[in-house]
Amino acid sequence: MQVIISSHDNQTVVTLTGRVDTTNAEQFLQDISPLMEGDNPDIVVDCSGMDYTSSQGLRVFLMLQKSVGSRKGRLVLKDMQPQVREVFDITGFSNIITIV
Amino acid sequence: MKRLFNPIKDKSSEIIEYLMSSPDMPSDESLRFKLRLSIEEAVDNVVRYAYAGGIGWLEAGTELSPDGLQLLITLRDAGIPFNPLDIEDPDITLSANDREIGGLGIFLCKQLMDHITYSYSDGCNILTMVKNLNPCK
Repeated sequence: MQVIISSHDNQTVVTLTGRVDTTNAEQFLQDISPLMEGDNPDIVVDCSGMDYTSSQGLRVFLMLQKSVGSRKGRLVLKDMQPQVREVFDITGFSNIITIV
Repeated sequence: MKRLFNPIKDKSSEIIEYLMSSPDMPSDESLRFKLRLSIEEAVDNVVRYAYAGGIGWLEAGTELSPDGLQLLITLRDAGIPFNPLDIEDPDITLSANDREIGGLGIFLCKQLMDHITYSYSDGCNILTMVKNLNPCK
């Protein structure tokens, strides 16, 4: 798993590549922890290179969504691979996190 | 095929890879994705909770049904008696604010596999997950 965070025009872009699983979900959480603070966050996660997530990864996405939502910000996950999207769909996460 | 892992602390990846490398595993990528995720959730559950973080063992195995149409994945451990099927499903209609963090692992297994059985016998938890192997179904 690789997490790259960059900023463009007040928007934060997280490029997530590889697998998010039980072995690295804590690392994923640590990597994005700087995004858990600040006002009105506008975060896009490029998921095109993410080819797997377990429930431990979903847990981190929910924590990020709760954090962003509480600060009146916006979190968007984009270009998700179909198999990963299915995991978000069957857990109802597609209804609580914006996926485009 | 089956194998005993002892101890299992920090061995989740090794156990998952063992099961995924079984000759019983299908080659279809979509099926393999669902199987890996289910295996990871079930194995992780045992590794994290069965022995309350202490030392313990897990026997992991795969088997095909006699007609070859179903894959059975069995996990056996001697940890705290725990039937994961007793855990209530999360309410997936709740808003992000109301959703609890966690509790999705077993739910995912139940959604991705075709059948799951649990029994407690001779001091062991036995969890069997069954997947139909016909990808057209």
